Amino acid sequence: MPGLSLRGISKQYGHTQALDGVDFDLVPGEIHALLGENGAGKSTLMNILCGRIQPSAGQIFLGDQPVQFTTPQDAKRAAIGMVHQHFLLVPMFTVAENLALASQTRQPPLQEAAEMAKRLGWNIPFTTRVADLPVGTQQRVEILKALLGNAKILLFDEPTAVLAPPEVEELFTVLRVLRNDGRSLVFVSHKLNEVMALCDRVTILRRGRNVGTVAVSETNAEELAHRMVGDAVESAALESMRSVGPDKSLTPLLSVAHLSTVGGPDAVALRDVTFTVQAGETLGFAGVDGNGQAELAAVLIGLRAKSAGSIVLRGQDISRLSPRDLERLGMAYIPPDRHTEGLALTLSIADNLTLEAANLPRFRRGPGGIFLDRAGLRAFAAQLAADFDIRANDLAQPARSLSGGNQQKIVIARALWRKPDLLVAVSPTRGLDIAATRYVHARLRQRQAEGGATVLISTELEEVIALSIRIAVLYEGKIVGIVPPETPRETLGLMMGGQAQRGGQAQGNSHG
Amino acid sequence: MAELLRQALRTFAALLTAFGLTLLVILLAHQDPRAALSALATGAFGSPYALAETLTKAVPLLLTGLGVAIAFRARLWNIGGEGQFLVGALAASALGTSVLKSLPAFILIPVMLLAGTVAGALWAGLAAWMRTARGVPEVISTIMLNFIAAQLLSYLLHGPMQEPTHAQPASEALPPAATLPILWAGTTLHGGVLIALLLVGVVAVFLFRTRAGFALSVVGANPEAARVAGMDVTRTRLTTMLWSGGLCGLAGGIELSGVVGSLYENYSPGYGFAAVAVALLGRLNPWGVLASALFFGALNAGSGSMERSAGVSANLSYVLQAILLLVLLASQRVRWTPRRNVVGEST
Repeated sequence: MPGLSLRGISKQYGHTQALDGVDFDLVPGEIHALLGENGAGKSTLMNILCGRIQPSAGQIFLGDQPVQFTTPQDAKRAAIGMVHQHFLLVPMFTVAENLALASQTRQPPLQEAAEMAKRLGWNIPFTTRVADLPVGTQQRVEILKALLGNAKILLFDEPTAVLAPPEVEELFTVLRVLRNDGRSLVFVSHKLNEVMALCDRVTILRRGRNVGTVAVSETNAEELAHRMVGDAVESAALESMRSVGPDKSLTPLLSVAHLSTVGGPDAVALRDVTFTVQAGETLGFAGVDGNGQAELAAVLIGLRAKSAGSIVLRGQDISRLSPRDLERLGMAYIPPDRHTEGLALTLSIADNLTLEAANLPRFRRGPGGIFLDRAGLRAFAAQLAADFDIRANDLAQPARSLSGGNQQKIVIARALWRKPDLLVAVSPTRGLDIAATRYVHARLRQRQAEGGATVLISTELEEVIALSIRIAVLYEGKIVGIVPPETPRETLGLMMGGQAQRGGQAQGNSHG
Repeated sequence: MAELLRQALRTFAALLTAFGLTLLVILLAHQDPRAALSALATGAFGSPYALAETLTKAVPLLLTGLGVAIAFRARLWNIGGEGQFLVGALAASALGTSVLKSLPAFILIPVMLLAGTVAGALWAGLAAWMRTARGVPEVISTIMLNFIAAQLLSYLLHGPMQEPTHAQPASEALPPAATLPILWAGTTLHGGVLIALLLVGVVAVFLFRTRAGFALSVVGANPEAARVAGMDVTRTRLTTMLWSGGLCGLAGGIELSGVVGSLYENYSPGYGFAAVAVALLGRLNPWGVLASALFFGALNAGSGSMERSAGVSANLSYVLQAILLLVLLASQRVRWTPRRNVVGEST
């Protein structure tokens, strides 16, 4: 089986050089990591390999043969399969129908798929609708799809992003089986520990260039982090700095008791959720995505109704208040997805920075405050941009013109400039590179040091461990336990899989 | 500024393309495009009368265009300007020929125009209510309400509101006191043009200087972000549709009081639809809408003269309008449905 080689691959978007003369070799029987920060060009390279976009320059070789992929079909014919991070499955179709769609046949290639599933030790319900399957199983369907037609080269785009730790281990086992069968695998990631644990070789991309390909056995996480980020930065990006603790002398700032919500087709029901947060404390919520995190955040910030229980902030029941009222009471929110809930991308950076500030009396003019002090708001936005290191040429530009990191800084600035007593932060660093992540974490720690309370909800276990004083684990809408961050990862992983903590630890800490 | 310039250039390019395609249509009809264009220009700008005619024709387009523009800015697709225009005219006509008609002009006219505004607002409000309470897409409901308004007009003109002699399906002519004064003797230019111009400024201030206008643009850009930021999305949508319908209804009242004088079937030559083209050509900006309403006004005023002296059908101005709308839509890629944010974050 021939290997795959890329020579001098470049891709230009307008003035942006997404890829710049990248060489890349994939040999049969290896798992080759593609490591890099956001914006390093990993996705662009993957999309070129699977025929979704064409390079501006450079050549792809299969063995010695130059090849050209103008459509995804071309790549498929060359036995290249792609497992997308955002699955390309039709949710309303059954597994079998999705496989038929992928193979472009009327009859689903069930026998081939079943044999493959058996080889990988999977039990796939072929007649179930994809929408009704858990995320881990959906990913298996996506992998089966990529394997159809006996793909020899498999591209995995951040496959662990959606998985719980135990599922990650299972996935790794499967990937090793696929490798040992003689396939070659590209594993895209920005998680160093995964690369170290799984891969044979690693290619590091930085700003569209290949800055080195090394055998994993001859390197270590520190060196990889160093190469990935470039200038000398310490590798321990997520080291914990819990110097400031909660003020135990006070009554809790926030106490949530027996909180429940009604579930639905798109929503997990919260069940009897009870916890407290002190001033100066960060309570982290860990868990696999889709176990009630979104619902918990929505209830806390007033966008979702509870069915039972209470949410008390400084002695006041706030469970029926609107987002606006909560904001006045000193609450702020960092939404999980800056594009859907955080920003109005087509509006200017200045407008986005002042979405809440526009309500302040000092920026209101005229009878009933119906007019806005636009000049004052512009000055305010400029101040925030300076304070939060938002790098923009012109604040009148639309927010979409900013990089992801700078966009997220807008969201962070809006949440933190008021020095909120209670911050609800959901996946505050999703999709950010190491430098931007570190910046956001520093800001969150600073707020905690100033005495702010934070409810941190994140699917990144490392992030929760790094920032939290206590960690609550959510599973199917319930708190499995509340434990200190020193708890072993394996234990946390088990809890995220729904296995409750035995012993007193889980209960003992739940009252602060 | 660069963005504004780019928008202006793009708009201009769209205009040129549409003009080119329209000239092609004239050629295909074996007519002389040069004669047609020159007749068009004379009819629109060639004399004081022609200029006044251009302004007069621009008034209903300007008001409905403003109405559509503010709705579109909030990503509310109000395609119901036509129906709102009709019910506005109906309400104004009903009041102007009612017992109130003996009132002096300075009371009667404001009352009529206010009634037209309120009627248009409520007509749009129906669609807004269905959208916010039941999730009915306003594109569909406003179009349907257009048909209902047209049938309502037809019914009323054959029945309760028919003129006293019952000779024609038309409404009773407005008394002189209900007629907007002519500003420029010997032309058609009426006082409504001042109201329309004033409203350009009012809408601009509303959109760019008020909190409600800010909320409107945020709701249009991303309703989820607006909700998270503490804005009342439902209320913003409701009031935006009311404003939008109100402007279209006012246009109906002004056209009745300033130009037509009595209602008949086909009372509107499609102002509410032309408004979509006006608003889009004006890039949903009130000053841009002013410019594009003047442009379309000139076109409508000139097309009559084009038919008379160059023998090219006046309907050609509608052909140009339609082509322009398509070119504009193609050039600015208006999103008719809220965009799903499936932006791949990973790299």
